[in-house]
Amino acid sequence: METYETIKKWKDANIASYLSNNISLNEFHDQVMLKVLTVAIANINCPKPPCDFTWFITGSGGRFEQGFISDQDHGIVYEISNEENDHYFKRLGEELAFGMDCVGYPYCNGNIMSSNPIWCKSLEQWNTQIVLWMEKESWESIRYLQIFYDARVLFGNTNYIQQLKSIIIEYQLEHPSLLSRFVANVKHIKPIIGPVGQILVEQHGVYQGCINLKYAAFLPYVNSIRLLSIKEGIYETSTLERIKQLRLIERYKDLLRYSYENFSTLITYRMSLLDSITYDDTHYLNIKKLSKEQRKQLKRILKDGKKLHDSVVELTFLKS
Amino acid sequence: MEAVQVLMDNLWVGIGAILVFFMLGGFILLEAGSTRMKNAGHIAGKTIFTAGIGTLVFWAVGYGFIYGDGNPIIGLSNFFYGDASAPEDGLTTAVDFSFQVMFALVSLTIAFGGFAERAKLSVYVIFAILFSAFIYPIVAHWIWGGGWLAEHGKQDFAGSTVVHLTGAMAALAATMILKPRIGKYNKDGSSNVLAGHNQVYTTLGVLILWVGWFGFNGASTFGVADGFFGYVILNTQLAAGAGAVAAMFTAWAKTGKADVPTTLNGALAGLVAITASCGFVAPWAAVVIGLIGGIMVVFSMQLFERLKIDDPIAALSVHGTVGVWGTLSNGLFALPALSTDIDWGQAGLFYGGGWEQLGVQTLGVVASGAYAFVISFIILKILDKVMGGLRVSEEEEIMGLDMSEHGSYGYPEQMALEEVKLTTAATKENFS
Repeated sequence: METYETIKKWKDANIASYLSNNISLNEFHDQVMLKVLTVAIANINCPKPPCDFTWFITGSGGRFEQGFISDQDHGIVYEISNEENDHYFKRLGEELAFGMDCVGYPYCNGNIMSSNPIWCKSLEQWNTQIVLWMEKESWESIRYLQIFYDARVLFGNTNYIQQLKSIIIEYQLEHPSLLSRFVANVKHIKPIIGPVGQILVEQHGVYQGCINLKYAAFLPYVNSIRLLSIKEGIYETSTLERIKQLRLIERYKDLLRYSYENFSTLITYRMSLLDSITYDDTHYLNIKKLSKEQRKQLKRILKDGKKLHDSVVELTFLKS
Repeated sequence: MEAVQVLMDNLWVGIGAILVFFMLGGFILLEAGSTRMKNAGHIAGKTIFTAGIGTLVFWAVGYGFIYGDGNPIIGLSNFFYGDASAPEDGLTTAVDFSFQVMFALVSLTIAFGGFAERAKLSVYVIFAILFSAFIYPIVAHWIWGGGWLAEHGKQDFAGSTVVHLTGAMAALAATMILKPRIGKYNKDGSSNVLAGHNQVYTTLGVLILWVGWFGFNGASTFGVADGFFGYVILNTQLAAGAGAVAAMFTAWAKTGKADVPTTLNGALAGLVAITASCGFVAPWAAVVIGLIGGIMVVFSMQLFERLKIDDPIAALSVHGTVGVWGTLSNGLFALPALSTDIDWGQAGLFYGGGWEQLGVQTLGVVASGAYAFVISFIILKILDKVMGGLRVSEEEEIMGLDMSEHGSYGYPEQMALEEVKLTTAATKENFS
């Protein structure tokens, strides 16, 4: 009988053979998490879920961009709300968060976990919540919507997520101001290229001389591509897949000419940060360890990312 | 008319003394703001009692070592100063003494910048005595008291070398012997920011210093008759502004962040740089001198950090590195009308004065800097041996010098909260 401990052992023993490739690594993470789900369902002493449901992951996992170690981001959509179902999925959500932590996906600081009632609701409740989030337009609700837009079904009914995302897509077509709110939420990016064209590195601390790949390199791409995807109604969650779809649209061809290759290279760089022990380590790249050619390439990618981000902000931000 | 002029001159220098003394208020806020909360009361309080010690020592021997009759190395009369005579022509010596003692106190306070957050209180007491007797007065005698550098025509209008470099060299010796604060450097050699606890204090400290500098430089004209002090103040203001702007843009260009503490150090760098040359150069040159000072301070701070010399309030860079630049800048920019024509050294390199003045300035910097460093180093090394170390214990450093050296925190409520957090964490750790 499988337990969280045996899953963890199996994960630790096998992850090394998946580290050479981002896709296989993310498929491996999926497998691990599905095993966690099986154990979680068994652990709550109610072997069969009382109704149809979906367990989704979001964040980097949702985008199929998880690194070696990453924290957990997930939620549940279930068919119908009633006392029995609400109780069951509340327990399942809590068990899932616990199980994920046990096998090596630390608790999410932002509390985006199935154990949080906000992220564990029936389809109808989700529907209402998403509309409320869009109407409320607060900094937090807009952030939740963008996080939800990266949701990818890991187990269960795939229609629920598609259905909920379509609400966002349709709403923003009727209310273009929503897209501006999305932009405002991600407009700030960490300066990464200095005024004299140098790569700006961490000045102090144990990561002195490194760049923070997540904030400086990944986020400008991830956020701008997500914005365009919402605008164009693309349901894919992986940034690379989103770029592929967006490139089919004539007006984005020029803008996204190098984005696919650039983002793939960034993923490769992150895959190279393997001797990491803690979650933070996987984000920091020491540019002194790169060859001159690599540094040049990285600088170009960072500059392109900033340019893409600025252009997308320009394209999607309504000036009132 | 002549009597009025004498009174006005005395009044102006008296006001200058007050302004320079008020600079200590600037240092209190600058240093306290740039260091951590647990040391705030100590940093502020020690400035007051070392000012007390410095004053007494300067009165007893310091003034005599500078201005007494003696030889090119040291003055040897006018000890235990006490002259109450009224002015007939020029300044009364009491006004002059009051002005001079404040400069010594500023230099002493700069020196203590290098001791911050880790030196024992007793070290402050003894070093304050020795610095005010044997370090500052000797350099001041060489340049201002008719000593051997004055004979060479060394130009240092208000003390880039005498006050700032001397203080900074003592700070360097202290920093080297004391070693970096706990937590400043990691095992792999990278450094951490031990951020100051209040940027508003630091900023207000800089503004107070800036205002005080109008007395520091402006009253170093020792008179008001021809209004020359206005020109000196103009140059001072221009250089300070240029220093702040240059440092902010340099930090932004280097790191992408318009860092506030660096900008503040830029303003101070502009002020330190122009201190030697404020009475010798044209306003455009004051701007250039300030700009270069502001740029230099940024790189200098980075250099010391890489050399693992932990300088909590950037005293070495602001007063040392830039003090050198300020002194040398005279050799480049000194106007003939304000040097050769009034018999105070030569014009600078850019005004046909050749290399001579630059050479004299360099000699002054090297000799004064070396003297201040070597003597401070020897004194501190001896104290290190005799007093069983200059530094507080690890536990004392962690609890903060407010508590270890004075028995109460500058921020009692806040520190009590921190203590509760620490105790809770320790308890959890022990029982988990």
